[in-house]
Amino acid sequence: MLGAPRESPLLVWMTALIALMLTILPLPRILSTVWPNLLVLVVLYWSTMMPRAGGILIGFLGGLCLDVLTGSQLGQHALALSLLCYLAIRFHLLVRAKPLFEQALFALLALGLYEAVLWAIDGFSAQGTGTWTRWVHVVTGAAVWPLIAGLLGRLHSPR
Amino acid sequence: MAYAGGLNNPTARDSAPGPRFFIFAVLSIVLMYFDQRDGWGERIRYVLQAAAYPIQVAVGSPRQLWNATSELFETRGSLREENARLLKREQELALATMRFDALEEENARLRALTGSLPPLVTKSQLADVVSVDFGKQRQRLVIDKGDSAGLYRSQPVVDANGLVGQIVRLGPWSAEVMLITDPSHAVPVEILRNGTRSIAVGNGNESELELPLLPATTDVKVGDVIVTSGLGGVFPAGLPVGTVTESKRDPDEILLQVRVKPRAALTQDHQVIALWFDPDHPAAPVNPALARDLPDAPLAQPVLKPPSGTTPAPARTSAAKPAAAKPATPTSPLPAPAAPATTPAPAARAPAAPAAEAPDPATAPPAAAEPR
Repeated sequence: MLGAPRESPLLVWMTALIALMLTILPLPRILSTVWPNLLVLVVLYWSTMMPRAGGILIGFLGGLCLDVLTGSQLGQHALALSLLCYLAIRFHLLVRAKPLFEQALFALLALGLYEAVLWAIDGFSAQGTGTWTRWVHVVTGAAVWPLIAGLLGRLHSPR
Repeated sequence: MAYAGGLNNPTARDSAPGPRFFIFAVLSIVLMYFDQRDGWGERIRYVLQAAAYPIQVAVGSPRQLWNATSELFETRGSLREENARLLKREQELALATMRFDALEEENARLRALTGSLPPLVTKSQLADVVSVDFGKQRQRLVIDKGDSAGLYRSQPVVDANGLVGQIVRLGPWSAEVMLITDPSHAVPVEILRNGTRSIAVGNGNESELELPLLPATTDVKVGDVIVTSGLGGVFPAGLPVGTVTESKRDPDEILLQVRVKPRAALTQDHQVIALWFDPDHPAAPVNPALARDLPDAPLAQPVLKPPSGTTPAPARTSAAKPAAAKPATPTSPLPAPAAPATTPAPAARAPAAPAAEAPDPATAPPAAAEPR
């Protein structure tokens, strides 16, 4: 058990649900541009810290919820978030041991990939690919990573 | 997972995500494929929307709780003030309705119809807004009424001031409203002052619409009121859409640049109204395209039956009616500009009738503007 925290699926699913709600919160325009996609961050965190608790399923279902609630194309967020989940689980040992700052860089990369997948699907399906503002949340998301990681870390191993 | 010691051996467990990711990725792509085509995707979404409804309610609840509590603590004074204000407003509206009735009578006589017209709006349904999306790409509202309340796809939605949009997706207890400012939305409109027809297109900014198809010689002034023209088969004629805020003539362009501010308080609405129409009314929307393309009974019931058994709540109907029909009031005794287009509607209501597509203003000169 040394170094490996207990995996508690309940905690993972509950925090993901709360993050989903905070993500789709109706906000004024400027705030909603910079508002980070908290669901992606939380799923990313749990996938690296507890790869077995949620698995890729949480990414898929979370993404599907985003699709339905934001009215985007069905399966779009699901695909992007499943991919992120997969990569996070695949490389969790690499990322887990890094200091928060480096983790935030990984988060930046992951969020960028996430948005790139959405962007590509938008393009393929001729939905209009939007303006540069859609990428803002990538940066703000990475910026709040230490906060999220600290908060969730406290939740699963209270010291 | 198949290994006996799998839990203790991280590599055995960690190599599993590959195939599982593959399955989920294929599933997502299949979903996307079906979502592109009507029918199945719509059905899947219908079910998922029902499943996600509790989340929607939970997200919307803090604001509703806040509204409820602030209502609870409203003082007697402010209530009295509000009461006085509403009474005054009611008097104004009663006056307007009085004039409206007379004008409607006159209009019916001018059209040589026997008797007065039936009310255009036969039923209305108040719905709370549970979530909003004012993005550059999408301008949508989610409301807390859906299929179970009898709403249908492409149903017009208004607020107390004007047109809000139309329903594009329907769940059992919720529906998604595409706002008139959504970049993929267009409303066939006309300028109330002279009957010039055009199309109002959203541009992803919730306080602005554009009329991109008017020739530079068109007579548009700042302050002109824009109402729906009744063409296109979704919206009835005469719903107020907005007011012209800018009309710019660029010598290098053949088209006029006209900006319109929506009448409806799109960003402030907490409640919107979905409308049903009497299909026999000349101003009612004709919807041949939808009647033909979407036969799915639970998702689309575009041809409206006047609710025979269900009596509409009279208070609501009368509240919605002035909003719907008010813009027709200030016109001169000339027949409403939309009349030439919509009068033959009862005959042309057969599904085979060409969908009254949004007219190109260049090819469809404003006939109704001539009498002046």
